[in-house]
Amino acid sequence: MTDTNIQKHLPLTEATYYILLALVAPKHGYAVMQDAEDISQGTIRLAPGTLYGAFTTLENNDLISMVGKEGRRKIYQITETGILVLLGQIQRMEIMLQSAAKNFDLWQEKTAEEESYD
Amino acid sequence: MTNELVTKLKWFWAWQDEKEEAWLAEMARQGLHLNTVPFPGSYQFKSGEPADYVYRLDYQSLKTKDKESYLQLFEDAGWEQVGEMGGWMYFRYQAAKGEAPEIYSDRESKIGKYQRVLTYLAIFLPFMIVMMPNITGAERYGPFVVILEALSFLIMVLLAFGIIQLIRRINQLKRNT
Repeated sequence: MTDTNIQKHLPLTEATYYILLALVAPKHGYAVMQDAEDISQGTIRLAPGTLYGAFTTLENNDLISMVGKEGRRKIYQITETGILVLLGQIQRMEIMLQSAAKNFDLWQEKTAEEESYD
Repeated sequence: MTNELVTKLKWFWAWQDEKEEAWLAEMARQGLHLNTVPFPGSYQFKSGEPADYVYRLDYQSLKTKDKESYLQLFEDAGWEQVGEMGGWMYFRYQAAKGEAPEIYSDRESKIGKYQRVLTYLAIFLPFMIVMMPNITGAERYGPFVVILEALSFLIMVLLAFGIIQLIRRINQLKRNT
């Protein structure tokens, strides 16, 4: 898997990011919906039409694959390529956070305040 | 009066899906709940208690093997499938007060739905354009040919109009929010 093959999928949309993160362990669609809402601290709510479309696109791009069925529900899991893409996305987000820590004084004050509470 | 079947005829064009959703919700407030869509433009309702239902239409060309998992996902999320007509899927949700459920949670995927409808209409347009000269070039110019010609011209105009409406809808979604 070459780097350009990873890069062409980046950046991920927020919804896609949480879908891939949820699928690090195998899950069916509704479990992904609940998990995404949970791990995003309620900032992402996936509607079924959106999630179904995302599954189709991600499967066609070989970022997730179907690993089984539970009744009529398809169970998906992230692929090796998907993991590399997810890691690439996290790296990008880390750069974004570091850039704020270095260049944005309001963010620096906010994080300093939060640290002093701990 | 309950569980009586009532059929209503009403026509909505492919780009009027939101108007159709609003009409179905209005019917539900009057106690008419969509039961099935037997033909295009015909709606069969079951009469019952008035209810606050939200209706949403999706457009999909699903393979049979994918359909059950698609419907299951909607069902798990609280959407009941109440009809299907020519690729259009009719879903119903019993909403609590102040709740506005959607089947698409972002703009890109909602645009995707209209693009699928657009692709479907766009397939027919070149086909009609190719057909036209064959009809006009018919050797015998009887009333049958004239009717056929007028009919295919009408279909072509409608297709073109539909395509324009859908492109406008997509551009509108791209601009907003």
